[in-house]
Amino acid sequence: MDVKTNNSEKCDYALQDLYNVYDPEIGLNIVDLGLIYEIYFDDIDKKLTCIMTLTTQFCPMGDAITTDTRNSLTQSFPDWEITINLVFDPAWSFSMLSPDGRAYLGR
Amino acid sequence: MSPLVGGLQKTTNYKVVLPFYIYASLGFLLGSLLLLFTTDAVGAHHFNPQTLAVTHTMALAWGTMIIFGASHQLLPVLVEGKLDSDRLAYLTFGFTAVGIPILIYGFYEFDMGWPMQAGAILINIGVICYLANVIGSSFKKNKRSVHAWYVITATLWLFATTFFGLLLVLNFRTPILPGNSVDYLSIHAHLGIVGWFVLMVIGVGSRLIPMFLISKYTNEKMLWCVFALLNLALIAFSVLYLVTSSPALLYIPIIMGLVAIVLFGRHCYLAYKARIRKSVDQQVKTSLISVAQMLLPFVALIAALAFLPNGQFPRIAMLYGFCIFFGWITAIILGMTFKTMPFIIWNKVYHNKAHQGRTPAPKELFNDDVYKIMLYSYLAGFIIFIIGIIVLNAIVLKIGALALLIAAILYVYNVMIAASHKSKL
Repeated sequence: MDVKTNNSEKCDYALQDLYNVYDPEIGLNIVDLGLIYEIYFDDIDKKLTCIMTLTTQFCPMGDAITTDTRNSLTQSFPDWEITINLVFDPAWSFSMLSPDGRAYLGR
Repeated sequence: MSPLVGGLQKTTNYKVVLPFYIYASLGFLLGSLLLLFTTDAVGAHHFNPQTLAVTHTMALAWGTMIIFGASHQLLPVLVEGKLDSDRLAYLTFGFTAVGIPILIYGFYEFDMGWPMQAGAILINIGVICYLANVIGSSFKKNKRSVHAWYVITATLWLFATTFFGLLLVLNFRTPILPGNSVDYLSIHAHLGIVGWFVLMVIGVGSRLIPMFLISKYTNEKMLWCVFALLNLALIAFSVLYLVTSSPALLYIPIIMGLVAIVLFGRHCYLAYKARIRKSVDQQVKTSLISVAQMLLPFVALIAALAFLPNGQFPRIAMLYGFCIFFGWITAIILGMTFKTMPFIIWNKVYHNKAHQGRTPAPKELFNDDVYKIMLYSYLAGFIIFIIGIIVLNAIVLKIGALALLIAAILYVYNVMIAASHKSKL
C-alpha cells in the first residue's frame, strides 16, 4: 500500500527507518505490514504527522509499536515535532500488506 | 479517516497479573502430583476426599487462578476499557490464594469443620472482589461487546458456584438446604464448569483466537446464539435436576450445550480458514485442539446416561471430570499461557526500550523445545489416563498421571523462564 504524503523525498527517508520498526508478535516491519497510512510534513513549523493503524484496535503490543514508531521518526527528524495519529477507519486488512509482507506471511 | 480519541487501550500492570500465573502453574503441578498419588480413587464414587481435592485443585488453583490472571490482563481488550481497580485485583489474589489451599486441605483430610469453611469463605470474598472489578470495568462505557457480556455473565456464574459451594460446606454440619449436600454436587459442578469455565473460555477465546491467527473473521450473531444456548442449558439443567427424576429430560440441556460447543468450534474453524498468517504456531494449535477436546465430556455424559449399567457410572463420571479439567481446560491454558504471558513480560521488560536495538519476539521469552516436549507429554498422559480409566488398570493410570506430572513440571519451568526474563538490550 502506498503511503500518502505531501513530500515524497522526506517520506522515503522516514520510511527507511520505519522499515526497522517491527510488530513483535508477527515479526514483520510496520511498512510492509501496511500500518503506515499517511505521513505529512509541515516544513515551516517543522511538524511531522504520521497517520497509522494497528492490525487490531486491541493489539497488546500497540503501545510499544507506536512508541517505537515515534522514536524512529524522531531519530530521522531530530528537530521536528512528531505527532502520531492512530486511526482504525479504515481498518487494517490483508489488502494493505505489501508484496514482501504477503510473501513473509506465506500468502 | 479520524484519529482515535484517547489512543490505545492501556495494558494492565504486570504486577497485578503475574502472581496469578505463577500461582496457577504451581496449582497445575500440585493437581498433577495429587493425581499421581490418588489414582486408586478412580474406581470409586467421585464423592471421595482424594477426588474432591484433585478436582478443586484443578478447578480453583489451576483453572480459575490462571483465568483470573489472564482476564485481568485481557479485560481492557474484552470490555474495551481500562481495568477498574488494581487494588481489587490484589485483594482477589490475596483472598483466593490463601483460601484455595485451606479448602483443598479440608477436602483431602475430609474435615468439614474450619478448614473447609474458612477456605470457602475466603474464596468467596476473593470472587466478590473480582466480580466488583469486572462490573466496574465493564460499565464504564455505555456499550458492551458480546465478549464483555460473556465475561460478566461467567463471573456471575462463578459467584453462584462458590456461594453455592459455601452453602454445601456449611450444610454438612448444619442443615440449611432441604437435601443432603451430595445431592446438589452436580448442580454445583455444572454452575462452575458451564457457567464459569465454558462461558469464560468461549468469551475470551472468540476474541483471542482470531486475533492470534490474524483473522478478520467475526460473527457476533453466532456468538450471541452460543451465549443464549449455554445460559439456557445451564438454567434448564439446574431446574430439571431439582424438579424431575427422569434422566431423559436432561438430554435437553445436554444437546443445547453440545450445539453451542459445535457452533463455537465452527467459529474457530472459520477464523482459522480466514487467517492472514499461513503458519500457525504451536500455542494456537494447542488452543484449537482444546476446542475439539470440549466434545469429549459430552460423549462421556451421553454414554453415562444412555448406554452403561448403573454399576459403571462412577468411572464414567470420573472420565467426564477428567476430560474437563485435565482435558480442554488444561489444553487451552497450556496454549494460551504462552500466547498471553510473553506479551505481559515483553511489555514489562521492553516497552520503554523500543528502538534501542532488536528486541526479542514474545515467543522468544520461553523455551520452545521445552514447550513441545511438554505438549507431547501432556497429550500422551491425557490419552493414557483415559485408557486407564476405561480399563481400570492401576499401572496404566500411574503412567498417564506420571506423563501429566512431567508436563506440569515442564510448564512450571517455562513459566519461570518467562517470568524471570531480563532485558537483552
